[in-house]
Amino acid sequence: MKDILQIARSHVVSAIRERITLFWFLIFPVFLLVILALIFGQVGEEGEITFQIALANQDAVSSSFASAMIESAFVEVSSSAAPGKEPLFRLRRPGPGEDIEAFIEAQLLAVRRGRLAALIILDAGSGESLTTDAPSEAAPAVEVHYSEGNAASGMAVSIIDQILAGIDRGMLTQAGAFDPGASIPTHKAYVGSAEDEAPYVDFLLPGIVVMGFFMNGLFGIPGAILFARDQRVLRRYWVTPLTVPRFLAGISLGHLALCILQFALVFVVGRFALGATVNFASLSAALVLLLAAATFMAFGFLIASVSKTANSGMAIANILNMPMMFLSGLFFPIAGLPGFLRVIVHVNPVSYLADNLRASLEVGAATYAPLVSILVPVAWILVSSAVAAWRLKWDVGR
Amino acid sequence: MGCRTMRAFAALLQTEMLIFLRDRISLFFTFLFPLIFILIFGFVMGDVDQPTARLGLVSTTAESQEALADVLAKSGVDSVRTFEGELELREAVFMRDIDFGLLWNGTSLEFSYNPNRMQENYAFEQIAAGISDAFNLRAQGASPMLPIEHIHVGTEASTRWFNQMVPGVIAFSILSSGLFAVSGHLTAMKERRTLDRMIVTPMPPVALLAAIAAVRLVIVYISTLVTLGISILVFDLSFSIAWIPYTLLVCCSTIGMMGLGTVIALVVRKPSSAGNVANVMAMLMLFLSGVYFPIEFMPRFLRTISWALPLRHMAEAMRFTTGVADMAVTRFWIVVACLLGLGLGLFPVLARYVVRPQRS
Repeated sequence: MKDILQIARSHVVSAIRERITLFWFLIFPVFLLVILALIFGQVGEEGEITFQIALANQDAVSSSFASAMIESAFVEVSSSAAPGKEPLFRLRRPGPGEDIEAFIEAQLLAVRRGRLAALIILDAGSGESLTTDAPSEAAPAVEVHYSEGNAASGMAVSIIDQILAGIDRGMLTQAGAFDPGASIPTHKAYVGSAEDEAPYVDFLLPGIVVMGFFMNGLFGIPGAILFARDQRVLRRYWVTPLTVPRFLAGISLGHLALCILQFALVFVVGRFALGATVNFASLSAALVLLLAAATFMAFGFLIASVSKTANSGMAIANILNMPMMFLSGLFFPIAGLPGFLRVIVHVNPVSYLADNLRASLEVGAATYAPLVSILVPVAWILVSSAVAAWRLKWDVGR
Repeated sequence: MGCRTMRAFAALLQTEMLIFLRDRISLFFTFLFPLIFILIFGFVMGDVDQPTARLGLVSTTAESQEALADVLAKSGVDSVRTFEGELELREAVFMRDIDFGLLWNGTSLEFSYNPNRMQENYAFEQIAAGISDAFNLRAQGASPMLPIEHIHVGTEASTRWFNQMVPGVIAFSILSSGLFAVSGHLTAMKERRTLDRMIVTPMPPVALLAAIAAVRLVIVYISTLVTLGISILVFDLSFSIAWIPYTLLVCCSTIGMMGLGTVIALVVRKPSSAGNVANVMAMLMLFLSGVYFPIEFMPRFLRTISWALPLRHMAEAMRFTTGVADMAVTRFWIVVACLLGLGLGLFPVLARYVVRPQRS
């Protein structure tokens, strides 16, 4: 038992001493968790995201009620940030005495160049259109200029539309054309077992844990075996009483310890720095995590068994890393994939393990049947172990 | 360059090209890696085969059918599919056959979403809010008082995020190729003691560096063209390429990134470590430079950091030369000059401190 523990200890210690390994196993998952949570966790949230927009009120001369109302609404949104937060919009308006046409020209260029999310132009006739009986036939009162290919521009426009819709309803109410009390109620529902959408960081955290385990198995196991083999360390082991099964047991134990370390770090950052509420303290979650660690460890053995050298092993791992990670639904939706890529999704153990873990933590509805999401990873363990037992060489070729 | 330098350069050029072509791993990472990026992200994020917002509808009442149909037609959804009952609708939402669902029972509107599609639900909810607003107005016989016109003012080619992502991925492949060219290749030569042997010949260090740079420039340029070509053929993207600025940008970016690789080669001795350091640098820049996610979505401190990253400027300049985004011409040339300056400024350092015998 002592030799197994020593191999496990050496596996953990060498992983921690190697700064690059430390980066990929521990720092990178945490970095990705923080980046994705900061970016996608706050989409559309006031105070967390800000858009630069401009407003040119060409109706300022006549000072119509509508244009003044619209302008003041945007001024209010751009100045109403809580302490330490950013306003939803940073608003540019022409300065006193500034030529409005020149201002519009400059802002349109800024929208085209991506420096400005949108430009709102209130036409000179916007006040008049409010009093007409057929406003839809009136000339456009509000022009929203934006850039379609710019995601920030698209999002800013959807928020601007909502603000304008609110102003529109307010004006209709004042004109007696709309009764807010008689509005048709709108409800929101989520399909599947989930009653509500979990916070994004809760959804993300299990994915990052699975990704960390995946990278640990994909790079850690072949790295440990192949570098030791290439540097003839393994050859020295085999002249001691250490046997291959005991060496494997030690590597597996070390791998498990690294997974636990990785999980602890990601969990602590997710829980205490990003406010995740997901509860991993359940038997089903623990079993899925164990299954994930075992599956990716077996996968690592499979890669080690088909690689001639450590460098080729790392290259194979690099080649497989991205397709397996991105074609699993871990971070990005995979709905629009064509048939040949869906095959990868359906044989990819990462897809099943991430789905299974999220379902067991109740932060998403399970896409796969529970039995299937266990059987596919188990099949990978069996196939990988069989190939490794058949092909894996424990010494460099002579 | 003297005659001796030129002869050395020609011989080294041939050797470097052969080394590169024989190295399957380098070939893979230079040519296939960006293609895998493009193909995966094209299908995952490019909305190639699917429209952007597909709505499923169940109406359990005959009331206001015409008004609802009219509102949905103007709502911005790409398609509306009618279902027999609520169960079928929910199943379709869950299986992602549709993006979100709407149940109209005569008294309320219920929008249903898939809880697993967190990154997209925000956009669907925005459309739903628009539908709800418009339907409410129609139900009370009111019309919007504020006619709003949306006007796209961006470049013609740029109508999808994926269109902007392709030049970003190309910029990333230039970055990683340039970084690895010096850090990985030179440190490998150092480790195998090839460099020591070459240095004791009359070969000037600059000839070796020029040969490495020339081979990389050609390979990287071809690789960017292959990536652009595949993205046009497979995803039907359109680019309006300004060839001279494009060529200059690719060359200067490659030289600049090779210069940056010098720093790694100076600090790290082992080729595997040098490659890893380059990989870590490239990956960190990839996430913070607006290649995957729009920079505007990032918190303020990350937006500030992104200004200091060369990949951000390379990606924006690449979008400009491929015609998918606008940029001030002056800024473009400043970016090109800075990248060239970075390379030219660091090459003498490389020649002096990296291309020299190892102390053992």
